[in-house]
Amino acid sequence: MATVRFSGVNKAYGTTSVVSDLDLELPDGSFTVLVGPSGCGKSTSLRMLAGLETVTSGSITIGARDVTHLQPRDRDIAMVFQNYALYPHLTVAENIAFPLRATKTPRREALTRAATIAESLGLAKLLDRKPKDLSGGQQQRVAIGRAIIREPSVFLFDEPLSNLDAKLRVETRTELLQIQRRLGITSVYVTHDQEEAMTLSDRMVVMRDGRIAQQGTPQEVYARPADTFVAAFVGSPKMNLIDGAVSGTTFTVGDGFALTVDQTAAGGPVTLGVRPDDLLPTVSDGDGAARVILIEHLGPRAIVTIDARGTELTSVVETSRLSGITEGTPVDLAVRPGATHFFDPATGSRLSG
Amino acid sequence: MTRSSVVTVLRVTLLWAAGISVLFPIVWIALASLKTPEQLNDPFLIAFTPNFASWQNVLSSGILGAAGRSALVALVTVGISVVVGSMGAYAIARYRAGGTLTRFGMLAAQVLPPAVLVFPFLTMAYALRLTDTLIPVIFSHLSFVLPVVTWFLIGFFEAVPRSLEEQAQVDGLTRFTAFRLVVLPQVYPGIGAAAIFGFTLSWNDLFYGLILAPGKAAILPVAIAGFNTFRGVQIGSMSAAILIAVVPVVIASFFIQRKLVQGISGGAVKF
Repeated sequence: MATVRFSGVNKAYGTTSVVSDLDLELPDGSFTVLVGPSGCGKSTSLRMLAGLETVTSGSITIGARDVTHLQPRDRDIAMVFQNYALYPHLTVAENIAFPLRATKTPRREALTRAATIAESLGLAKLLDRKPKDLSGGQQQRVAIGRAIIREPSVFLFDEPLSNLDAKLRVETRTELLQIQRRLGITSVYVTHDQEEAMTLSDRMVVMRDGRIAQQGTPQEVYARPADTFVAAFVGSPKMNLIDGAVSGTTFTVGDGFALTVDQTAAGGPVTLGVRPDDLLPTVSDGDGAARVILIEHLGPRAIVTIDARGTELTSVVETSRLSGITEGTPVDLAVRPGATHFFDPATGSRLSG
Repeated sequence: MTRSSVVTVLRVTLLWAAGISVLFPIVWIALASLKTPEQLNDPFLIAFTPNFASWQNVLSSGILGAAGRSALVALVTVGISVVVGSMGAYAIARYRAGGTLTRFGMLAAQVLPPAVLVFPFLTMAYALRLTDTLIPVIFSHLSFVLPVVTWFLIGFFEAVPRSLEEQAQVDGLTRFTAFRLVVLPQVYPGIGAAAIFGFTLSWNDLFYGLILAPGKAAILPVAIAGFNTFRGVQIGSMSAAILIAVVPVVIASFFIQRKLVQGISGGAVKF
């Protein structure tokens, strides 16, 4: 159990900076997710924490210890890799027991503890199998068992669910969260999947180009994105971002369409952000402000693509509210109160007010 | 005849031709080792009563001692090559140690004519009073077996995912122990094949053996060459000796043929 702290951490390969000025504090027992597009520095940051990459400058502490220059084995961490990295020449039991054997625990004791952990993960019947005889989900659980057995200070996960099919991913996500809650071990998790980040994290750290774009609880990041990048990255389907101008409660796009929005102190050119869930199309009597182009049915909801005088918008509508709306229907658009975001068109940063 | 059956016939013919051209010399030599000197005058004689005089001559001539020395030299050479070569191959596979120059240099070592190195070896052997012993022979064999074994193993090490040894380091091992306990077991098949391949190279060497240990420490190929005497070539005895030299290697190669292709192709071809 430990607080993890990154202080002014930089990582550069020659002149190319991959992580810049990373300052992050992860409270004891928290589940922090580093999320961002490929190349944003999340995996590099995780690997620096693990000791698999050197730190160009700055320091990393786990608990009271400065681990910046320690070997991975001296950091009291456990890690699960994307491809599970199970030892092919060892059985499931030996794989799980490996960290104990590596630190000179007697074989019998190590295997007994491995068996207990395997039991709790539903692997009891597979103890004598080799990794190649296991399914993806089973392999993943062996990797988790191997991470748990030493009860380290920190768990590190590098996109562990990416190799699983969609359904298994959701199931395993829940199991993972339950295990972490039960053990209360500080966890750092890297993913490029924002949905995974939202569901798993206590604290979400959105990264871009080696820097933190925003950090906070998933709810904070979702409800008040700090800039257009975070706004577009978090939430699916993507937030609608429209360049235009606002005056009072009216937002206009060129000589295209107009939308009534929340009162804002901002005036002049803005980038308007509205999440698809907050954009409400209603069937229009007349020509309507916009026209429905496409409807994608998802069961309880549908994704409706709308053309508003040249601007393409996305809306998510509950199937029960879809009556009358088909492809080609003219619609009027309304924005749910309190759900408008304003960003500076030049910098992308959130405008207050 | 259809096109594909023509192709099949051609293929089969080609395979038979290849097979016969490889096996025929061995069969011929086996037969020759059982013929009397008179029978040897007729190379096409197939039906005859076997005569074991050649074999008796060969077995009492110290050929087995030479075979033993060849085996010792090959084993020591391969032993050193595998230990050093596996570590070298790992460094090259993981860290591109030595750059492209090293990798090509190893290839060059195999192409180098032995005549280039034999004189320096001989001079050093004289200086150390080790002439006509096995030690200079072992060193000279290392000069071509070690690069080959290293080069052979690079592809196998490249095929081991990095995350495996990273996981081992996180789990508590030092880098070297991770190499020993986690990475090496993944390449054991490659090492086995490299060892047999290296053994064959050392076993077959005539040139260094002839120059560096021509007398009492003669290795097998040198002893075989010794049947080419003043009085002419003792074909019968030489054939028997050749069989002693060739048959174990043919059998060993059979077992490693897949891994051999994998290693020579630098791991590009996988089975």
